[in-house]
Amino acid sequence: MAKSKAYVSSVGFTRVGDHWERSILDLAVEASRKALAGTRVRPQLIVVGNMFSSVGSGQEHLGAMLASALGLSGVAAYKVEAACSSGATAFNVAFNLVRSHAVDSALVVGVEKMRDLEPEEVSQALSMAESAEYTQFVGATFASLNGLLARYYMEKEGVTRDELSAIPVLDHLNAVSAEHAQFRKAISPEVVGRSSMVADPLRLFDCAPVGDGAAAALVVGDGGASRTKKGLMEVMGAKVSTAEFSMYERDDMLDFRATRAAFEGAVKDSGVPRKKIDALEIHDAFSVVGALSLEAMGFSKRGMGAKDAKAGKFSRGSEIPINTFGGLKARGHPVGATGMYQIAEAYMQLTDSAGKNQVEGAEHVLTQNVGGVDTTSAVHVFGRAA
Amino acid sequence: MTIQYWRIRDRYYRLIGSKCQNCGDEFFPPVYRCRGCGSEKIKDKEMPKTGKILTYTQLHEPLPGFEAQAPYYLAVVRLSNGARVLSQVVDSPAEKVRTGAKVSATVRRVRVDGDSGQIVYGYKFVVS
Repeated sequence: MAKSKAYVSSVGFTRVGDHWERSILDLAVEASRKALAGTRVRPQLIVVGNMFSSVGSGQEHLGAMLASALGLSGVAAYKVEAACSSGATAFNVAFNLVRSHAVDSALVVGVEKMRDLEPEEVSQALSMAESAEYTQFVGATFASLNGLLARYYMEKEGVTRDELSAIPVLDHLNAVSAEHAQFRKAISPEVVGRSSMVADPLRLFDCAPVGDGAAAALVVGDGGASRTKKGLMEVMGAKVSTAEFSMYERDDMLDFRATRAAFEGAVKDSGVPRKKIDALEIHDAFSVVGALSLEAMGFSKRGMGAKDAKAGKFSRGSEIPINTFGGLKARGHPVGATGMYQIAEAYMQLTDSAGKNQVEGAEHVLTQNVGGVDTTSAVHVFGRAA
Repeated sequence: MTIQYWRIRDRYYRLIGSKCQNCGDEFFPPVYRCRGCGSEKIKDKEMPKTGKILTYTQLHEPLPGFEAQAPYYLAVVRLSNGARVLSQVVDSPAEKVRTGAKVSATVRRVRVDGDSGQIVYGYKFVVS
């Protein structure tokens, strides 16, 4: 495959949270219009990242539906689904089609409508990321799998409650100044440790919230890049990887193999040395998942992810800040949209439009978006356009 | 899920998993291909009914259909043949549900399915 350069030339997104008055299509259209505003690029392809519109809205066929709503009927349009990594996986498809010259430009939209469902219906919908016959069958929710993982992590690696709370605390602090975040309120480790029990030892504030949202990006090749006036971010490397389907089938449950392979592949593809990555947007759907992700990518040694976070290694102003707008815990986690929020946030960092959340001098940002318990992982490396 | 359940009822009642005919590794849930050696020579095999808890959780926000049982214990059980099973742990005092605890498999009612009231049975584990 002949590769050429590809860029994100603009992004658009809604606030994450409760959008009672708006449909899944309303959200996707808002994010798309913001991404397309002021550009003369007419995308040749629309890729929608979404996990459960069938359950959440009784709606499928989102690609053609969005194309029609945007007045772009005629273009190729389809949905990509990979559970909570649907957003970045959709982006990966579009990026590879642009850089292989199959299309000149593509609009990628991650969207999820979760709040029309009752909480137990959300739980049921998320559990579809796991085996219906052997995981859902025994009454295991997605949160409970992460509870099993959290206990295993704490017992094996000697991780304390306060250490596990460090990533949620960091996320909430970063979200205070993030206008699109779902929860813009700082919290203490005590608040995390006192919150209601979900799946022992995981508590409510270990878990990303339920919310609605949509985030979009316009991906262009060299041709499209010359026709855009907004800032450009180069997509430097990408890799999607998968692991054995269910966490409990793996010999080493604490080894996030999908993330490790996706990280190594994306970094190699980018040609950017690990040391030159200035910020990370990681997939902390649960506190334990954030910690194990940092370990899988080598930013923490084994067993040290939560401890390093507690010590301030990933806080704003540190050498390698994470979740600069609040991550999944505080910016929010509208599942199929999350990977596209991460990419939009990388874009803001690398075009100096991150406002109070700007990481000064950031040249390269890495995003990691996970489906299941690290069953699918989609990693991208971005840089400032030369 | 009536048909889906009927199709694999033996796996639920008797813990029928897989045995690799090449290297002898055993798995539950069943596999199409050996995770150890990659062989596709796989046959059904009834799993041993005892093992140890690798990790556990007490779930306070249940999956729909399981409300009457909440809060309930889930565990990853390592069976005596090395296979790992995700299962509920029932009929066991809280202080005994611990990492490393010995457990044995039993058949229990899993839930009552839908308005038709079909009763679904399957494996659960008990601290032994």
